[in-house]
Formats: sequence, structure tokens, C-alpha cells
Amino acid sequence: MSIEEIIKQFEPVQHNLLNILHALQDRHPQNCLTEQALDETARYLKLTKSSVYGVAKYYTMFSLEPRGRYIIRLCVSPVCELLKANQIMAVLEKNLGIRAGETTSDGLFTLELSECLGQCQEAPSMMVNNEVYNGLGEEEVQRVLVRMRRRKKK
Amino acid sequence: MSKLVNLTIDDKKISAPEGANLLQVAKDNGMAIPHLCYHKKLSPTGACRLCIVKIKGQRGLLASCAVQVSEGMEVTAFDDELEEARKYLLDYLLCEHDESYDGSHPDEFRELIFRYGLDKKENRLFPSIWKELGYPKDESSPVLSYDAAKCIKCFRCIKACDEVQGKNVLSFTNRGIISYIVGGFDKWGESECDGCGECIQLCPTGAIVEKPHRSEIKIENGICRVRTTCPYCGVGCQLELMVRNGKIVRSNGVEGVSPNDGRLCVKGRFGYDYVQHPDRLTTPLIKKDGKFVEASWDEALDLVARKFTEIKETYGRKALAGYASAKTTNEDNYLFMKLVRTVFGNNNVDYCTRLCHASTVTAMLRSLGDGAGSNSIEDYAHSDCMLVTGNNMIETHPVTATYVKYAVQRHGSKIIIIDPRWTPLVKDAHIWLQPRLGTDVALLNGMIRVIISEGLIKKDFIEKRVDGGMKAFESLKALAEKYTPEYVEEVTGVAAPLMEEAARIYAGAERPLIATGMGCSQQVTGTHNVFCLINMMLITGQIGRPGAGLNPPRGQNNVQGVSDVGASPFTYPGYISVEDAENRRRVAGIWGLPFGELDGEKGLSTVEIMQAAYEREIRGMYIMGENPMLTDPNLNHTEEAIKKLEFLVVQDIFHTETTPFADVILPATAFAESEGTYVNSDRRVLRVRKAVDPPGQARQDWEIIAEIAKRMGKPLGNYQHESDIWDEIAQTAPIFAGISYDRLEYHGIQWPCPAKGHPGTATLFEERFNTPNGLGKLHPVEYAGQSEKADKDYPFILNTGRILYQYHSSTMSRRNKSLTDFANEAYVLMHPGDALKYGFSDGQKVHIASRRGEISNIRVQISDGVLQGELFMPFHYSEAPVNRLTRDELDPYSKIAPFKLSAVRVGR
Amino acid sequence: MGEKRILLKNVGVIDPGCIDDAIRAGGYEGLKKALKMEPAMVIGELTEAGLRGRGGAGFSTGMKQKFTSESCLKCPQRYVVVNADEGEPGTFKDRVIMEQDPHLYLEGTIIAAYAIQATKGFIYIRGEYHESIRKTEKAIKDARKKGFLGKNIMGSGFDFDVGIKLGAGSYLCGEELTMLESLEGKRGHPRIKPPFPAEKGVFGMPTLVNNVETLANLPRIIAHGKDWYRKLGTERSPGTKIFTISGQVAKPGYYELPMGVTLQELIDLAGGMRDGKAFKAALLGGAAGTFVDATMLSERMTYDNLREKGATLGSGAVIVMAEGDAVLDILHNCLRFFKHESCGKCVPCRVGTTQLVKKADQLRNGQPGKAALLKQMVREAEIMASTSLCPLGQSPVLPLESFARYFKEVK
Ligand SMILES: Cc1cc2nc3c(=O)[nH]c(=O)nc-3n(C[C@H](O)[C@H](O)[C@H](O)COP(=O)(O)O)c2cc1C
Ligand code: SF4
Ligand code: SF4
Ligand code: SF4
Ligand code: FES
Ligand code: FES
Repeated sequence: MSIEEIIKQFEPVQHNLLNILHALQDRHPQNCLTEQALDETARYLKLTKSSVYGVAKYYTMFSLEPRGRYIIRLCVSPVCELLKANQIMAVLEKNLGIRAGETTSDGLFTLELSECLGQCQEAPSMMVNNEVYNGLGEEEVQRVLVRMRRRKKK
Repeated sequence: MSKLVNLTIDDKKISAPEGANLLQVAKDNGMAIPHLCYHKKLSPTGACRLCIVKIKGQRGLLASCAVQVSEGMEVTAFDDELEEARKYLLDYLLCEHDESYDGSHPDEFRELIFRYGLDKKENRLFPSIWKELGYPKDESSPVLSYDAAKCIKCFRCIKACDEVQGKNVLSFTNRGIISYIVGGFDKWGESECDGCGECIQLCPTGAIVEKPHRSEIKIENGICRVRTTCPYCGVGCQLELMVRNGKIVRSNGVEGVSPNDGRLCVKGRFGYDYVQHPDRLTTPLIKKDGKFVEASWDEALDLVARKFTEIKETYGRKALAGYASAKTTNEDNYLFMKLVRTVFGNNNVDYCTRLCHASTVTAMLRSLGDGAGSNSIEDYAHSDCMLVTGNNMIETHPVTATYVKYAVQRHGSKIIIIDPRWTPLVKDAHIWLQPRLGTDVALLNGMIRVIISEGLIKKDFIEKRVDGGMKAFESLKALAEKYTPEYVEEVTGVAAPLMEEAARIYAGAERPLIATGMGCSQQVTGTHNVFCLINMMLITGQIGRPGAGLNPPRGQNNVQGVSDVGASPFTYPGYISVEDAENRRRVAGIWGLPFGELDGEKGLSTVEIMQAAYEREIRGMYIMGENPMLTDPNLNHTEEAIKKLEFLVVQDIFHTETTPFADVILPATAFAESEGTYVNSDRRVLRVRKAVDPPGQARQDWEIIAEIAKRMGKPLGNYQHESDIWDEIAQTAPIFAGISYDRLEYHGIQWPCPAKGHPGTATLFEERFNTPNGLGKLHPVEYAGQSEKADKDYPFILNTGRILYQYHSSTMSRRNKSLTDFANEAYVLMHPGDALKYGFSDGQKVHIASRRGEISNIRVQISDGVLQGELFMPFHYSEAPVNRLTRDELDPYSKIAPFKLSAVRVGR
Repeated sequence: MGEKRILLKNVGVIDPGCIDDAIRAGGYEGLKKALKMEPAMVIGELTEAGLRGRGGAGFSTGMKQKFTSESCLKCPQRYVVVNADEGEPGTFKDRVIMEQDPHLYLEGTIIAAYAIQATKGFIYIRGEYHESIRKTEKAIKDARKKGFLGKNIMGSGFDFDVGIKLGAGSYLCGEELTMLESLEGKRGHPRIKPPFPAEKGVFGMPTLVNNVETLANLPRIIAHGKDWYRKLGTERSPGTKIFTISGQVAKPGYYELPMGVTLQELIDLAGGMRDGKAFKAALLGGAAGTFVDATMLSERMTYDNLREKGATLGSGAVIVMAEGDAVLDILHNCLRFFKHESCGKCVPCRVGTTQLVKKADQLRNGQPGKAALLKQMVREAEIMASTSLCPLGQSPVLPLESFARYFKEVK
């Protein structure tokens, strides 16, 4: 779908802005908002550039930088910290060879930190795109990454 | 007026209007509660928290800027706890802030730092962290720079741009401590920012500062401030010029006075540098053997006097004519007019109004008895419906447009735009009617028919206030009958339902204003167009109260004043006919002349003067501050005419397209070197004050005029100061009778002001129209077809107009780097469909020809802002003199020329 | 004391994606009944039932409806906004409702709309709650088909419809006035209060903002009556509360209990301490909550009792720490959280949270002599609490001050 087609699914009113940005970002192969996408959104909603840009930059789920196909959001809020999210972090960083905020060179993974994901009953937790992974241990993490890599090949 | 309530602040008893802002009330009563994010023009933000107070009966500390006062309120503004908290807040701010200060701007935050002793490092709790935060600077705008490290994130700039200027260009990026202000996608220079500088003016810290002359400014010493009136458009914004070492270094809007309350547009704020441009004319020049050589004033003035006298003696007194100037003061123009009438001895004095609003003025004079806007500019802020016809006000009257946008944003007012071309105001409009060029009469008659057929007329208004009452109305009704929605749609291309809705909204509104511009007036049917507007207004009774009426925003700073003081071939000062012998007798008395010396026959108008020159009926001309060789229609013809003159004097501040044709050039003063008054679009007489000395030997226009008259043997009077001239104006023009300089010290006064104690008149026609019988007059007019049609040879209809960054013939505006940085190249707008059809691409250079002339090397800009088959070009650029294409076929009533409609062809 | 599931009674019983299943289990009965009552009677019933907002502030739900329905009678529109932004660390009760029984809170939303005569509503769900979003979308679609949403609901003449608005990663947007900004497509900066949403909410119109769990109570109260409801919980905090307990307990999860259980009872219900460790501390109400130690284990958890004891109930989150856990790390985490979530609008919170994290870093480096530093931090947090524009900046003092009160880790 083109940017225009995505945008036009929504009514041209400002209160649709966040929903539109989500839709644009989700459909971008690199999970991000391009300047062109912001520009077309601004024009469609009759907003100034900065009103769209300021929103895109406020909310942590949006990114203007190209990201990997899979965004890993590891929770670092209190419960997960209590239950050793830092160890999961180490596993992820080692396996992926990147640090938080970075994207792997094959463009597959971006590692991000997140506040509480509302999954604290089985902390530590992370999300990979829209899927939730709970009760993480080293093995679980490795398994998820392998699965994702395999999915890419298909 | 809301009722007063009593409250106490720190035991001080205060009374204030109920619901007033507590912080403002405290301020007004001399209590210095610290505050940074509050500004009285803006909605409260509550960001800096410094204005905290305690209010008895309410929990905790409250930000006083967000509290409305009520009866019996007991407020504590200062105690140890509050002061400690404030100190913490300032300390917090300080640690994220770059304290370096270059003295180039006021800094409210810095003042508070000193007040709370935090300038001393030992009094601070928090180590400075701003360097870790990665704050950027944005230098991408041509006129301002932003430094995030100096920014206290108070939201004032965002709100200034949004709430005051209606543009909303700014926002924050990021969140928390690393947030900062951005324009566009974090690049100010590529945002929608048009450089009005409202954000600069309201920024408390100097995080946003003007670029020009920044290094020369030390706010605390050696700066002289002079209040005056902007020299550009007819809004008449009040400015404060900052002068250092005899040079203007900054211009600010004056807060708290009408019409602009601190607002400016990019021209008012950044357009002053032309005054100190090296191209200024500094000595009189006399043409000798085809070349201009410098001359002394005596030499030049004697020559002028001698030549004019010779022409008068040889060809008779009708052989001389003058163009007055919409750019110079009332005083200058009054003496100019007096010179033409008493020294030349005829009434051949006119000026560029003929080229812009003469049709509007003519129609209004005939129907309503006054040719000026009926309401105040601020009325737009409270209007509920604004009918904007042929008026690109965001670009041509940017400050007026801020009030219009305010009304839309604050009260949900509806804008109806009638314009064949997209203008930026369309974004805020409720309805945009896009008629084909030149079909306005049909469209407006169509709206009138809708109003009549749906019973939306105001019968009692028609009966009481319209000449001929319902009988006159019946003839309008009969005429309108054939303008059915279907017929109108066919002629104009405007969808019938849209036109109908527009008519309903206008007729049903409580306070509708019509703002009519050049698009309506600069046509062969200009007067007819305005007659139609007035007809519609009269039958719906939408005039004669605050917020309802007809307002033509005037194009130049003093277009209004020049007519008011009588520089017109048809009227004496105060719009009294030249043919009115009684008045001539009265004025002759004031001027101390025999009645018989004043010519009772109407003079020639602007374009007629040129035509008469062509016919060699006019032999000598005196042009003050006008540039007909760029701005007159059908320039090729104008050029021939001007060449036929035996003697031409041009008085100006620069060489223009016209000066090469002069025999003598006289250097005059610019606005910042002059004293006097202007009258703005809402009839407000405003003071102009001298801020800097004129360059070289340049002299103020009225002094030059007086000298010429004296040397022609007919001195105009003994004037020591501009106010002497004004007092004479007030004597001759009854509309100004009550106005004197001492009353203009702080505020302008709107005419009519018939007596000393009279406050001036904000709204015209409340009781009666200014016609002889006091009634408004309907002028039913038929649609007569487009005056020039596109055909096989000339398939496009060309429209012309102005843009924000340039002004008139751009002699002034183009001599400001700040303005040319924004826009400095001519272009022609073309619809994508036409580009496709004729094979033109964006950026391509083309030439354009009409039956009258051609111009070349014009850049095509493809835009769906124009209709297919139509083009638009700005007229400011001398290298693209679009008036070589336009016609001088005139509106028979007002003699205005149809700049807005010429058939042309476009070629590679 | 055992669980008392009135809100969660269908969890695990019905298929949340199947509206017929929900209807068979009594879904939309409350709505049916409400539509036969006068709107004012619905409000009266809820007021007398004593239901208090479950979003954290504990304000009377009926009163809020009353204000909203009575304000600005000239306004052309009234709105209901469902606060489904659940972002308080340790809280996941709303997610359970949305994922397991979405029709329950949707029904509650329609009842609330009827009570205040709103014809439009928005459900603001945090963007990370993918499953909740999907389930809610489906529930709305199905409810429309059944005529529970849309024009002339169940033949009553009442019209109402809702749309979903997505959050995108901002805890602060759960605060109601900030949510309104976000919902309108703007940055998440709080509005000045007053006006409250009841006076000027979305698009400047009177707006009722309620939490998901709060709304989930409505069908039950209307269906079974206020008297039935009042029999649950305590006099001033009637009904049940969904607690989410996490951390060092054997069976962390959600537990619906009558108001007034003690912390000890809750821990017991959650299988006791994990691996038999000793209880050390709990953080009640999430990051914007308070630490307690073992001395508080037997206190009744109601809004008022906890408030009297200097603690908070908040969203019902209970994060349990055991001997050996560094409470200081959790405090540090909370402060870091506030810094990350501060919108930056007001000075004390924007800079104050940053400065607190800097100081907390120093506390954590373990050297002694930091007691004075901790004291200074509490002082700063107090200033922040008294001067900040919105509750976020007013919150750090809660974990900080309670930590300083109970734990002597910092010497
Ligand atoms: C920082 C902050 C975050 C909040 N987050 C939520 C939230 O995620 N969900 C919620 O229902 N209420 C949240 N609230 C409370 C809301 O402001 C509001 O009180 C609540 O939605 C009212 O609904 P209720 O009356 O049903 O409790 C939050 C408040 C603050 C100050
Ligand atoms: S200069 Fe004017 S248009 Fe530009 S950002 Fe500032 S206020 Fe807005
Ligand atoms: S740039 Fe100036 S006005 Fe704008 S937020 Fe910063 S300090 Fe305030
Ligand atoms: S307290 Fe914090 S979150 Fe609230 S307005 Fe201030 S900066 Fe924003
Ligand atoms: S703290 Fe990590 S999911 Fe809640
Ligand atoms: S002036 Fe009131 S909060 Fe800034």
C-alpha cells in the first residue's frame, strides 16, 4: 500500500493522527516514519509539519529512524528489573551483537527498552513486534531469536 | 463590562473584574509575582510554575496565571515557603540553561536570576547540566536563530505563532528535559514560518533572536527607541524602531495599542533595511544631455519652478499634473494637493488608489456616502462570518488576517472565500467559491437571488435605511430573478449548493464582515462588483453595527490618508466634491486665496493623466513617490506617454523604473526619517516619527513641495512643523476636525472625529449613511460577460497580484536581504492540467505575451491553486514586468484598470 | 479470605471473541435494564452503590457522571472516554478484562454513555496492548451487529458509538487531561486543571473519563442492584478490586477481592512468598505508589485506610520484594521511570526528575554517608509535589518519602 492509500483509510481529522502514524509505521518495511510519510500526513490533516513531527517525536513507539524488521522491546520497569531483566538484556545484546537502541546490520532486529508492558505476572517480559514473550530465561530468548531468523528465510 | 469583585493579595485590597486573570490583576496592581510562561496575549500555560500563590480555602500552591479572581479571594503571593519554592524553580531552570548573555535581547529570566541572588554560584543547589543534554542551535531560518540551550520551554513562542498569528508553525520535539522547540521537521528554514517574528517578540529569554544586526545591539546601552507606523501595507502597524549610531537595527511591534497589539508581519519586522541602503538617492539630479548629474537643491528647485511656470504659461494651467503618493504622509500629500490646485491651478492630482480600490471607493461613495472601511480591524476577531472576496489577506494584510484566523480558531467563525485562485486563507475557510475570473457579478447576483427567494432579507432595515425602500428592493429582485443557481453555476463554474450555502451563512450571521480586495476591484466591472456586494449587504441589513459592514483593506500604508486629505481629481479634503462651490469658497478662505482661483472642474485621474500626456494635453508632470513605469497598466503605452512629456519631475527615495524618464530627480526622506501621520485601512490617523537622519541632502517631501511653490511665486503657507500642516488639514477636512497631534501621542484616532472631545468613530453608518438623504442606495447591475476572453491565440487568462515578502514595485522590499532571502524571483502559476496539455514542466522558463506586450524568462510553477486555463503572476519584479501585458481599458465609473484579467499565451 | 469474582466471573469460562457466549453468560443484561431506567436513575443507582474510580484516584463514579451530565447544557455533544492506557508499572488488571471479557467493559461504557447521554465515545488503549486492541475491535464490531451500539440501541431510541484511539508509548497519557490531548492528535502535555473533563473534555465538550475496571462494574451494579453491591467490600470502599500482585510471590497474577483485604491475605492467596523467602517490602500502587515494610502486612487495603497510613492503593498493583532484594534499586527504577515519562512541560518535574536520578545514581554507588543526600532528595521531591503542574511530577515524593521512612539501606 502506498502512503496515500494508507492515509486515506482514515477521515482527515486531527484526532486520527496517532492511529494514522501507527498504520504508516506498521506498514513500513523498516518500521519507521519517513519524512515523506509525515509530510503527506500533515497535508492530509491540514496540519503544519511540526504538529505532526512533534507528535511523532513525543511517543516512544514511533521512530523516524529506520529500524529492523523485528523490534524487540524489553521491559526494564520495576518488576522486570526485580526479576533480572538485566540478565535478559545481556543475553540479547550478546546474541544480536548490538546495544539497546541499535539495529543489527542485517536489518532484522532492533533492540529497544520499554517501560512496563503490563505482563508483570510473568516477568521478565518482552515484545517482539506485536507478540508478547513472558517469563524469559536465557533459553527462551535464544529460541525466540532462532524462530525469528528462520521466519525471515521463508 | 463584567462586575467588579474584591479580593486581597498579601493584605492589599484590590478590586478587579470577576473572572480576570489573577496574575494579571496582581501585575496591574504593581505586585511583582515572578512569572515567565505567562503573557497577556496568550492563554495560560502553567509551565514555569513561578507564579504560584496560596489561596485561602484551597489546597496547595496554585499557579496564579491559571486562576480567575472571584469575590472575597484571599491570596498570599509572598511568604517564605513560596519564595523558597520559586528559588528552587529558578535554580532548576538555571541548571538546564546556558547563561551566557550577549546583550542583544531582553531577558526576563536573567532578571529573575539576579533578583533571587542566583547569579552567585554559591547560592545554587544544582550543578549545571545543560552541556550534557545535547541542545542544538537552529540557524536555518533567514531571519532568526534559535538556541535550545537558552530556551526555558515556556511555550510562549508556540502560542505566539499559533494563538496570535494563527500559523502554528512551532512545536516541541522529544519529551522531558531533552525537548526543545522545532519548526517543520526540526529545520526552521524549511517550515511554514513566514518570518513574522511574533515568536521572537514574545520569547522571554532570547532563545529566539533576530539575525540582522544582532552583533550591533547592546540592549542596555546606546539604544534609542522610536515609535512610529509601518511603511508597508494599510494595516498601519505600530512599530518601535531601535536605533544605534544613527542606524535602525531592529523593529518591534508595540504591545497594547491598536491596530496591531504588538503583531507585525515579516515586512514590518525585517523590512526596514532599505532605509539605510546605499542605493538611496542623496542629492538632487538634473538630466543633462541624457545623463543625470548631481545638482544643488537651489539649482534643481529653480529649474523645476521655472519649467513648470513656463509650461503653464505656454500651454495653459491644465497642462500640468501630479501624482501624489500613497507612501508618504498626509502632510506631504496635503501640500502636494494644495500645490496642484493652487499653484498649477487645476485638479489634475491623483495617485495609485486609482489602480487599486478606486472602484470600491466609488461604489461605496455612491451607495453609502463614505469610501472607507466601515469597521475596525479588531472587529474581525469577533465577527462570526467573514466574506473575503478577491482578497489574499494572509499575504497582503497579514496582521488583519491574524484577527480573522483568531475568530475562526476561538469562536468557530466561518470564512467564505470568493477567489478564483487558492490563497493561504483557504485552509481556514468554511467555504471556498472559485468563480471564473471576471464573473463576480453573476455570482453575487446569484447569492442575492438565493437570499431573496429564501426570505432571508431584512425588511425593516430595507424600509428604514434603503433609499426607495421596498420599491427599490423590488427592482433588484426583478433583476436577480434570472440568476438562478443553475445559470450562475454555468457562468461562474461554482457549484450551486456551495453558492447557496454561502448566501445563507452570510445572510444569517450576526456580525458578518465583508473584506473585499483587489480581485474584486481591479476589473473593468470593479465598481459593479462592489455594487453587488453592497446590494447584498443592504438587503440583509448586515452593516451599521460593530462587526458588520464592508471593509476594503488598503494596499499601502497611506492609501487611505491621501484620499482623505484630498489628493484626488474629484474631491477636496474630507471627500467634498471639487464641484462643490460652497466648500471651495470655504477652503479658499482658509488658504487665503480668492475663490475664483480654485478650479471647479474635475481633474484627470491617474490613467487619464497618462492618456492626456500621450495626447500631449499634459506637458509637465510632478510624480512624488510613485512608480508608474512598473505599476500602471499597459506599460508600453505608459512609456510612450511619459516620453512625450516635456518636463517630468520625480521625487523618490530610490531610482525606479520611472526615474530614467525624469528631467529632475529629487531625493526625499523615507518613513523613518519623516514626521507626520498616515491613515490606515480602518480610518485611523497614526503618527509617523523620525528615527534617523536622512542620507545626504534628502529632504522630507512637504518641504520640497513648499519650496517649489514658493519659487513658482505662490507660497503654500508658513509651516514650521508637520503639526502646523495637520492643523490646517483638520480645518479643511471636517472628518478630521477634532484631531491634533497631542491627541495622537499614544493612540490613533479613527475618523470621522468632528470635534475636540470626540473619541473618533470605530463603526460607520450606525445611525445613517453619509449620503445626502442618509439612506443607502441599491444599484442593481447585470452581469456583462468577461471583459477579455481567452481565444485560440491567447488561450490563458492571466491574473496578477501580490505576495507576502514583496511590496508594490519592490523598490523598498527588495532592498532588504531578509525579505529577498524568502522570495526574490518572479514566477507564473499554472494548473497541472495545462502544464500537461501544453507540455510545460515545473521550473521551466517561458515567455508570456498578450495583445499589448510580452515578457520573457518567467519560471513556471505548477500548482493546483489556479484553475485550468488561468495563470497567476506577482507584479513586484521589474525583470518580469507583468503590466506590459495588462490592459488600460477602464472601469467607466472609477477609472480603475483591470489588472486581474488579461488574455495571454505562453511560449517557450 | 478467598477470591470473590464478580467482574472476572467469566474469565476462562467464555470465549472472549464470541459475543453470543458473552450474552449467554448474562452479558448486556445490565444495559438492557439501564435503558429502561431514566438516565438520572442510573446515575443515582451508581452513586448509591458507592462505586469509586479504579483508575487510581478513587473518586465517586456516580458523582462524576452527575457533573458531566449537568455541565454545559448548551454543548452539542458529550463524550465518554475509556481510559485503557494502563501504564502504571505492576498493573495489568485492565488488560485481563480487555483480553478475557471485552464485552463487559464495553457494556459498562454504553451504560455510562446512556447515563450522561453521550452519543460518542473513544476507547484510548495503549499501543503496546495489541491483544486488547484486537479483542476490543472485535467486540465493538459484534456489538454493533447485535444493535448494542449504533442508532436506536435495543429499540430505546438512544444512539451511541465508540471508536478506538491508540496510545503510542507514554505513561503520562493515562492521566485524564493528557489523554484528551493525545486523543485529539497532539503531544501528551497535560492541560491546566480546572476545567475538568466534565466541563471541557475532548474537543472542548463535557467528557466522562473512566477506567476500564470502573466501567466493568457498571453492568453488575445495574443488573444486581446497589444493595447487592454494597454487601461487598467496606462501607466507604464497596465492591471488589482486582489486585495485580507481582514480584517475589509464588503465584503472581490478578486476584479479584472484596475491598479491605490485608496485604498478608493477598500474598497468601498468591501462594505465599516465592521459594519460601522472607517478605521484605512491597510497592503498592506502582511507581506512583508507596513502599511499605512488614509492619503494614495486616493493614486493610482500602483507599481510605491506606491513605491514613501514608500509603496508597492506586491501581491495585502490589510488587513484592523479598529479603536479599535491593529496595533501593527499585526506588532508583521508579525515579528513572518518572524521568523517562516526564513530558517536560513544567519546570519542577522536567528538571527535578533529572536531578533526582542523578542523586539516586550516587545513592546506589553504595558508599556510606548518603543519608543527608536522601534527605535532600525527599525535600526536592516535596517541592516538586507542591509545584508541579500534573500528578506525574507530584508522584516521585511517594516512593521516595516512603522508602526513606521504612528502609535504612541508605546510611
Ligand atoms: C501519571 C498518571 C497516569 C495515569 N494512568 C492511568 C491509567 O493508565 N489508567 C487509568 O485508568 N487511569 C490512569 N490515571 C488516572 C486518570 O487520570 C483518571 O483519574 C482515571 O482515568 C479516572 O477514571 P476512574 O474515575 O474510573 O478511576 C493516571 C493518572 C496519572 C496522574
Ligand atoms: S517567525 Fe512568525 S511564523 Fe515564524 S515561527 Fe515565529 S511566529 Fe511563527
Ligand atoms: S524559544 Fe523562547 S518562547 Fe519559545 S519556549 Fe523557548 S524560551 Fe519560551
Ligand atoms: S509534572 Fe511532569 S509530566 Fe506533569 S506537566 Fe509537569 S513535566 Fe509534564
Ligand atoms: S514491569 Fe515489566 S511487564 Fe510490568
Ligand atoms: S506564569 Fe504561571 S506557570 Fe508560568
